[in-house]
Amino acid sequence: MRTIVCTLVAIAALLAGYPQAAHGQVRAKAAVTCVSAGQVLEYDCTIKLANARSGEPLSGLTVSVGADMPSMPGMHNVRRVKATEQAEKGAYHVRLELEMHGDWAVHIDLRGAVRDRVVAMLRFEEAEVTDVKPSPSRRGH
Amino acid sequence: MDDYLVSVVSNIGIISFVALSAYLLLLTGEISFGQQAFFAIGAYAAGIATAMWGWPLPLAIAWGAAAGAACAVTLGIPTLRLRGLQFAIATLAFAEMVRILFELWRYQIDIDGEPVGPNGTDGFRNIRYVFDHNIEAFDFMMLIYAVLAVTLGSFMLLERSRLGVIFRMIGEDATLASLQGIAVARYKVFAAGIAGALAAVGGGLYAHLTTYVEPRTFDVMLGVHSLAYGLIGGLGTALGPLLGVVIDVGLLESVRLFAGYRMIIFGGLVALLLIVRPRGLLDERLVHGIGRLFRNAKSGTTRTGRGPP
Repeated sequence: MRTIVCTLVAIAALLAGYPQAAHGQVRAKAAVTCVSAGQVLEYDCTIKLANARSGEPLSGLTVSVGADMPSMPGMHNVRRVKATEQAEKGAYHVRLELEMHGDWAVHIDLRGAVRDRVVAMLRFEEAEVTDVKPSPSRRGH
Repeated sequence: MDDYLVSVVSNIGIISFVALSAYLLLLTGEISFGQQAFFAIGAYAAGIATAMWGWPLPLAIAWGAAAGAACAVTLGIPTLRLRGLQFAIATLAFAEMVRILFELWRYQIDIDGEPVGPNGTDGFRNIRYVFDHNIEAFDFMMLIYAVLAVTLGSFMLLERSRLGVIFRMIGEDATLASLQGIAVARYKVFAAGIAGALAAVGGGLYAHLTTYVEPRTFDVMLGVHSLAYGLIGGLGTALGPLLGVVIDVGLLESVRLFAGYRMIIFGGLVALLLIVRPRGLLDERLVHGIGRLFRNAKSGTTRTGRGPP
């Protein structure tokens, strides 16, 4: 019992050292469209970033994109790829190389004037990429 | 440190909590396929606490752990009377029940014009504590490992304590332990509570690492893996499940050669090890052997009075 109490106290002490003050930050939203890049499991994605509140395009950011499979947490990590900014304001391009077809959570990490992460749920299939929407079949209960 | 490496190492740390959770129950002789339920409860509870209620992270993680422990004890009281397969199936059924409940559960509030909170099958997004507080990925990884180190240290102490001996006695032979005057049911519920809290701590950290969770994240796959980590890594020490996680998430994930075939290799590895080393790589025999070697080396040095130069 003493061990458990000591553990809880130690964990609380460790966590208590963490920053508490919140910073008012710009939140981003993203529209992601992906198409097959011609190679199996390779996709070209265009990401349009905007301020979630004002809708203003977000340009001049360092954008890196990774992905994982929600059905297998922490087990399929796609190495982050840096996105390149396009001529259109707020538009970025990235090529993703996945491990398998299926539903992926695409993580878009922003650095620079805005620090944020936007997560887009996409279903990558051989022919097309679609948004993952909750459907009656997914509920299925 | 490379972003990808930080991400993989963070994942190893987080999955280790749920692996240790399943390991603790294995020590008491119970096979649980349902530890992902407490991981989910911890993730949702801690996420709600920071993203919706504005709680600080430490309090949110502690609240998640308390919720996980409470649910585990509530589940433990009726199910720990079951044995073996029945208990395993009951835990699996509970985990699926929790997952489906999260699929149906909607609880959102408006924050700065945006709905925030669990939204059924859409999951729970915008758990932005890490970004709102400018915590770097590397710093969050260090936090995960600091909490894991404390947990692991506690496991080491536990295994040398009377409580640890009791857990192993119950795991070896519950009837014999009972005949020796040990309140088996009480200790099993206690172990289930700690295991639930551990998985929930992992879940809370996971929700803040990824910034989103959704019910299917917590399906049976995670439960089977968490159990398999102990069986691969070994049941002789708490380092066993960690070794299992490192082998799966670390080695197989990092070596791109296995990409896409990972689950097949992992399944094969589990099957092979269950035949060759039924108690895992770091089984009790090996751990005792290593311990004896150290003790002999130490006593030999003391007897001859010769230490290292």
